Amino acid sequence: MLKSLRLLVAVLLTVTLAGALSACGSSSKSSSSTVTNLMGTAPDYLDPGLGYTTQAAEADWIAYTGLLTYAHANGEAGTKLIPGVAQTLPTISSDGKTYTFTLRKGLIYSNGAPVKASDFAYTIQRSIKLNWGGKSFFTENIAGAEAFDKGTAKSISGIKAEDTTGKITIELLAPYGAFANVLAFPAAALVPTGTAISNLSNNLPPGVGPYEITNVVPNQSFSVVKSPNWSKDKIPGIPAGHVNVDVKIISNTQSEAQQVLNNSADAFDWADTLPAALLPQIQSQASARYSKNPTVSTFYFFLNTKVAPFNNQQVREAVMYALDRRALSRLDSGFQTPACFFLPVGMIGHPRGACPFGDPNAAPNLAKAKELIQKSGLAGASVTVWGETRQPRREYVDYFASVLNSIGLKATEKIIADATYFPTVGNLKLNPQAGFADWNQDFPNPSDFYLLLNAKSIQETNNQNFSLVEDPHIQSELAVLDKVPSTNLQSVAKRWEALDEYVAKKAYVAVFGYEEVPKFFSQRLNFGTAIFHPVYGNDWTSWQLK
Amino acid sequence: MAIERTIESELPGGGPPASVDSRRTVAGIGPYRLAWRRLRRNRVALAFGGLFVAMVILCLLAPVYARDVAHTTPDANHITEQVKVGGKIVEVLSPSGIPIGPTWHSRFFLGADQNGRDVAVRLLYGGRNSLFIGAVATLITMVLAVIVGLLSGYFRGPVDGVLSRAMDVIWAYPALLLGVALGVVLAVGGLNLGVIEIQGNSLMVPAVIVGVVYVPYVAKPLRGQILGLREKEFIDAARAQGLGHLQIMFGEVLPNLASTIIVLVPLMLANSILLEASLSFLGAGVQPPNPSWGTMIGDGIRFIPAAIHTTLVPGIMLMLTVLGVNVLGDGVRDAFDPRARIRVER
Repeated sequence: MLKSLRLLVAVLLTVTLAGALSACGSSSKSSSSTVTNLMGTAPDYLDPGLGYTTQAAEADWIAYTGLLTYAHANGEAGTKLIPGVAQTLPTISSDGKTYTFTLRKGLIYSNGAPVKASDFAYTIQRSIKLNWGGKSFFTENIAGAEAFDKGTAKSISGIKAEDTTGKITIELLAPYGAFANVLAFPAAALVPTGTAISNLSNNLPPGVGPYEITNVVPNQSFSVVKSPNWSKDKIPGIPAGHVNVDVKIISNTQSEAQQVLNNSADAFDWADTLPAALLPQIQSQASARYSKNPTVSTFYFFLNTKVAPFNNQQVREAVMYALDRRALSRLDSGFQTPACFFLPVGMIGHPRGACPFGDPNAAPNLAKAKELIQKSGLAGASVTVWGETRQPRREYVDYFASVLNSIGLKATEKIIADATYFPTVGNLKLNPQAGFADWNQDFPNPSDFYLLLNAKSIQETNNQNFSLVEDPHIQSELAVLDKVPSTNLQSVAKRWEALDEYVAKKAYVAVFGYEEVPKFFSQRLNFGTAIFHPVYGNDWTSWQLK
Repeated sequence: MAIERTIESELPGGGPPASVDSRRTVAGIGPYRLAWRRLRRNRVALAFGGLFVAMVILCLLAPVYARDVAHTTPDANHITEQVKVGGKIVEVLSPSGIPIGPTWHSRFFLGADQNGRDVAVRLLYGGRNSLFIGAVATLITMVLAVIVGLLSGYFRGPVDGVLSRAMDVIWAYPALLLGVALGVVLAVGGLNLGVIEIQGNSLMVPAVIVGVVYVPYVAKPLRGQILGLREKEFIDAARAQGLGHLQIMFGEVLPNLASTIIVLVPLMLANSILLEASLSFLGAGVQPPNPSWGTMIGDGIRFIPAAIHTTLVPGIMLMLTVLGVNVLGDGVRDAFDPRARIRVER
């Protein structure tokens, strides 16, 4: 009997050991590999209800899915809207004011909780209460959203959701051609009802998506890991992803680029500028894993049209004449195309005519600029120009301040940390006179860019209309143009062009360039299969190790 | 006022004479004169002191150089301009953003920086800023430290307790971290104390920060010395004569600290210049577009190795200046205090 017992114990031990070994083996086969993505600037907010920078969107759009989302593809194919948590694209009423969706069945959040139709209404309410920078897309379009924002209503009357059937109906105040694109914003991506209405960037709410954002160390790092509650083909068109991503914030772009060149890190954030000194090395040593990609983006200096001196048209025109856009392109290591129109190349409505204040590829007209300043009677006026610490944005501001000084104004600079820059200059109490700004397309419709010049988008905090433009002609044109569906934009292309030419002549903003950005990886990453998305930049779901 | 004096023989060969005529008097040499004599013999200290003075003069002449030699200003951007170097036309900033190196001509003598600004001009103006901040910070440090040290060391008891603990709180933070924290906060909003208002981009902001941060480093050794001095007989005598506390502190104690203070000044000046450069390097010191050696070093790092002059040149200037002040300071300390009782602990 003792011998049998010993035999039994031995067998049991062997089986247990074999099981443990095989578990180890299978877990090592099923564990995802991790890549390191370096960012020069931390996201403004990782909370999807607040985030509005490219760094935030890049992580949020694969962790939080709305009724609609974008196809995971390069180029124009990536601007196509596909159903997200909704079963299909919306049914739109004939008057363009009613959008109807049905929620997919059986969806769960990353924490396992079921997704309900009423969560959509709560999500929109939350984004409004958090003062998301684009909340005017909701308050100006969805019936009852403005009343909710002002506190005169307890819910948004224009959103109806039935949890039993999964039906969601959205009533608009007037047809808005880009509304489907608005629903693809991470700010419209569903979070559970009852999620705290406060900035949860350090302790994120659950979402629906192939990834979850975890291990957030503010302004230092965060991880984007594959969600265990997401399976392949859960939502057609949204891939499951291949690798986890560790994001590290490295404010020194020299170090950032060097690490990727040396293969100590895997990806250089496309929104950062490659240091000029390293470019020749990258182009020669890493040509197979580096490319330059045009983006639909505009870089500009905002000019506060409500305070002196930029409330004076002559002063604004002087700035346009004085700005040397070729110089700003050089500060960006040659990654910029000098420009003057607000709607960039690649966006419907980009004007094809000549710039009203001179060729952006030619030398500036300083004499004319100085003459205009003298005529305005505002020579010697003090101007504070705001900028970020990140290079070359600080250098843009150094240059811009020197230009203002050279034409007769008295400019000083205020340079602040990147992560707080846009929330700071977007605070109306500060009332900044001038500063750096840029915009990358959120969706392929000019009304996205005109959020920045729309009087209705001015808000106390997280304001994006930094120039505080309130122009009746712009408002009347937007009232017509915004109604045109995205599928029919070509029919109004000329009208958008005319509006953009008008804005250029009014000089509300000093546009200086359209950006090209680097796609730059380590040798580990498969460069060819990695998608560069037209809206969100690097598509992390497409990253694979070689 | 009682000052301890040192008497040294002036007879050739030194030493006491074999016999002394009672009507002849031996002249005493004051401590300052003695110190000067010792310093004069220290050729290394004098050489480096001369180097420092040369740096100061050069920086003071920055406006002359900018106007008459380089024909530019420290903030003027020349990004798309071209210059002739060795018969060739060269871009000040290449289309890919690399600045030109030293031309060894009047324009861009030491090259251009990332904004196409003349490095030599910014170097001199940056030196003015760095030296100004260092000097003002040193003045703030010494004045506050003397007051705190005097009050602490003389009154002792609760006054010493409160002031020493306050100094301990400041001392507990590494100087650089404290400086960065204060610099970042004050750079945006400035300093507004009602009567005193300083703009965020003023040079006085880093000067005040550096000055305040270093107060404990000077106040503590001074306090220690004063604790010893207040037990001396001449203080008792002064009290017996009916002199008040303030008269004793500033009339009797302070003059005996003069040599210590003189020793500490150059050492603190070197520390202040270095701390300012560190803060500016980290973006918490001198605000753009004002030049500073620290800012220039920080901005030039991303151009290594393509345009290494942008970071190397201000680094060398900073090193030479601080070295000059430090060696001079060591010489002054050796001259006043050969037994080197006073040290500044960092």
